[in-house]
Order: sequence, then structure tokens, then C-alpha cells
Amino acid sequence: MEIAVVGNEDFAYGFQLAGVRKTYGVSPKEMERVVEEIIQDESVGILVLKSDEMSSLSLGMRKRLTSLPRPVVIAVGGEEEEDLRSKVKRAIGIDLFKT
Amino acid sequence: MVLTEYKPTRSQLLLVRRTLRMAERGHRLLKLKRDALILEFFNVLNRAKEIRSDIVKRYRVAEERLAIAASVEGKVGVKSAAFALLKTPQLELSSRNVMGIVVPKIEAQSVRKGIHERGYGIIGTSARIDDAAAAYEELVEDIIVAAEIETTMRRLIEEIEKVKRRVNALEHRVIPELKETEKFIRQRLEETERENIFRLKRFKAAGG
Repeated sequence: MEIAVVGNEDFAYGFQLAGVRKTYGVSPKEMERVVEEIIQDESVGILVLKSDEMSSLSLGMRKRLTSLPRPVVIAVGGEEEEDLRSKVKRAIGIDLFKT
Repeated sequence: MVLTEYKPTRSQLLLVRRTLRMAERGHRLLKLKRDALILEFFNVLNRAKEIRSDIVKRYRVAEERLAIAASVEGKVGVKSAAFALLKTPQLELSSRNVMGIVVPKIEAQSVRKGIHERGYGIIGTSARIDDAAAAYEELVEDIIVAAEIETTMRRLIEEIEKVKRRVNALEHRVIPELKETEKFIRQRLEETERENIFRLKRFKAAGG
């Protein structure tokens, strides 16, 4: 399986230097469509998204990405994701990511 | 609130008691599961925090090195070096079970490469590209580890929330309602028994 990287042009092309072939430099508008294509692509094991651009995805898509068994999704380029942080706060009762 | 689907009969009382016992046992077990999940979550959390801060640092370094390489070689130069790369990181995605939760297990190959393995010519490119490539390889390596840990953490937290909701529902709704229903049926049966005794006494008094 491979890694796929989706984000703006500058974010995506750096990963090509690490040998990642499936890099998609896209605008926030096209992001949803590209992510959908990657979900259908069974050769992708990890999907790397730029964290501040992840919010441009619809709520339904974001929920779908976290519940899918494949690809494993990870946001890069920021601190912990806000929804993960709020989930932890809701389940445990305190903000464990607070520094 | 008394559950209305139960009629005040002895068999229903036994049924309610059985259900109550089962609910209490389930509540105890779920509480144990919740505590165990929270312990597991805290183990994962520390690793997740470490790896996340590593990623933030490595991403910054990689971005800087890429910017330097692009300013020296030009964006086209960097891209052409990237196109020459022969090996792509290969992943093997499997799953493992952590206390009933299926979490991903990722194994990777060919992430970090030596200069001679990268595929582009050493003479034709500058050391800036090597630095940027090395920084991105390190970043990808961390991303693979973080993807596994963060997904495990996310699944654990979802399960904790689910178990917590069930524990609360049992503790604050199901068990009190069943207790209330049991009390109601018991009292009604006692009342019926008292009425019967009183009726018998009246018959006896009328007959005698």
C-alpha cells in the first residue's frame, strides 16, 4: 500500500522528495472530490491532509474519514485536531491537550 | 417512573428482579471496561502527544529545507529530483484488537533511503535537495507511526464515550426504573395479599 498526500501545491510537492507518488496539490474546492477518489483507491493505506485545509471538507466527509478502516487519515501541519481534542474533553471530562 | 409494560404479578416480579440483576451485572462490567479503556487511553495519549510534537517540529524543518532547496535549485529542479526517485514508501496495513476495538497496525518499508538509493544524480543536484529529502523522509516515518497511534487513540476515545453513555444510562435510568418497578409490583402484591386476608377474615366472620 502507499501513502497519499492532499493539500495545497506547496504542501504536497515536498512529500515527493520522500518518494510519495500520490501527491495531490489541489484547491480547497477540489479537495472533497480528490479525497473521495482516494477513498475508492484501494492501494492507499495512509491519507495525509494539511490540517488547516481539512476544515474545508464537509462535516459528513470528515466523519466518514475518521470512521473508515482504510485509509488511515492523519492531519499534518498543526497541533492536535480540534475535533479529536473536543472528543477527548467530552469523554474524559478535562482538556488533556492543554499545555 | 414505573415501567408500564410490567403487570403486577408474581411472574413479572421475578422477571423484573432477573432483569435488574442482569442490568446491575452489566453496569459493573461496563464500569470495569470503561476504567480499563481509560488506562489504555492514557498510555496511548502520552505517545500520541510526543509523536505529534515531533511531527510539528519535523514538518517545520522539512518546510524550511524545502524552501532553501527551492531557492537554490528552483522549484523545477526540486521537482525533477523528486521525479527521479525510484523507491516509494511501501505500507502493510493490518489490524489488531485492543480490548475489543479493532485498531490499525502499520508496517512500512523503504521510507528512509541512502543518497545512492534515491535515484537522482549526486553531481547534478545540490546537498540542499538531499537535506530536504532526508527531512521529508523523517517526517513520513513519523507520520506512519502517528497515523497508527492517533487512530488507536481516536477509536479508544469513541469507545470510551460509547461505554460511558451506556454506564450512565444504566446507572441513572435503567436500574432506578427497574428498582422502582420492582418496588411497585412488590407493594401491589403485598396489597393484594392483605386484601385477600381481609376478605377471608370477613368471610370467616360472616360464616361463623
